[in-house]
Amino acid sequence: MAQKKQPGQEIGFPIELDLSDQDVYQAMKSLPGYLDITPNDFKEIYRLAHCRALDRITHSVKAKDIMTTRVVSVNRDTSLADVADKMARHGISGVPVVEPDGQVAGVISEKDFIAAMNMPGVKTCMGVISEWLKRRTCLIDQMLSRTAGDIMTSPAIVVPGETSLAELVQILADKAINRVPVVDADGCLVGLVSRADVMRFSFLRRVC
Amino acid sequence: MLSYFVKMKGITQSPPAVGLSEVAWSWVGAFLGIAAVAYINDFVLAGTGLIIVVGSFGSSAVLIYGAVKSPLAQPRNLIGGHLISALIGVASYQMLATHLWLAAAIGVATSIALMHMTKTLHPPAGATALIAIIGDKKIHDLGYMYVIMPIGAGVLVMLLIALLVNNIPKTRRYPEYWF
Repeated sequence: MAQKKQPGQEIGFPIELDLSDQDVYQAMKSLPGYLDITPNDFKEIYRLAHCRALDRITHSVKAKDIMTTRVVSVNRDTSLADVADKMARHGISGVPVVEPDGQVAGVISEKDFIAAMNMPGVKTCMGVISEWLKRRTCLIDQMLSRTAGDIMTSPAIVVPGETSLAELVQILADKAINRVPVVDADGCLVGLVSRADVMRFSFLRRVC
Repeated sequence: MLSYFVKMKGITQSPPAVGLSEVAWSWVGAFLGIAAVAYINDFVLAGTGLIIVVGSFGSSAVLIYGAVKSPLAQPRNLIGGHLISALIGVASYQMLATHLWLAAAIGVATSIALMHMTKTLHPPAGATALIAIIGDKKIHDLGYMYVIMPIGAGVLVMLLIALLVNNIPKTRRYPEYWF
């Protein structure tokens, strides 16, 4: 998606269909009767209509339709060992941190854990492993006494259930995050939309 | 500046040719449509001083019997376009009879503008406006009657034939819309 921000592409995925002049010509030929449009007229109309359709579909699907409702979450005072254990057991790379009243206080992801290890220049999981192999030292001592509230990213980016699929794609891409908690009018956690949830909804198939 | 001239190259290919049956039905429709108005003109109206056929009907026949799907060929455009242009044509002639060239230019141009604004664009109607202005004495003497007869009546006869003929073949239908 190198050519972002062209007309009709503001939702950030490729929409150009590879419709050749020959395809259109043959299609026009298969219709009886004289059509007083050129093949190019048709392509123009089709391109614009296709953009509109994509736009309509991606705006009609909302966060509440695709979110996971059984969200694994932790509290501020959950120890990091427990947070890591929870994430590992559920096979997830991030969890929301919720207040006792259900409000979303923040989000913890692998990135926050890595950042909490306080190793300059290390940003990824492989970075941690490499550092560990090089130094042959224990990196986790400083983590043992800390809790979720200490390392979470806060305030969290959250969205209401009415957020459209198009906006979700935009938020996930622009903020470079992998999941976004969905909250109700009171700011309480009701679900979570991950990149996988967005991917799973293969809206493009519906168009063609 | 270069892009201005590049535009003159064109950007796409011409639409495909139609099949033989389309050619045949276009012929039949046009034959019957023009036969109807021409016959009425020559025999029914003989001696009354009235006419029901003008040159622009030939080009209307191209559209309503030869390009039946075209928006330009739909009843709204056929009737609306001819009536509006006939009216503008007569008015232009009556107001500017002493400057025929100007009356002709204003009549045709204004007809196109009004047809656009009323969604009734019908190319042959441009000729209808022009005929009212540069036509012979017989046409000029009709005055605003020109709008009703030959134009209004003639167009209705041609439309009737289009409805009857264009809906016979399975592969054709007419109109696409009325209004």
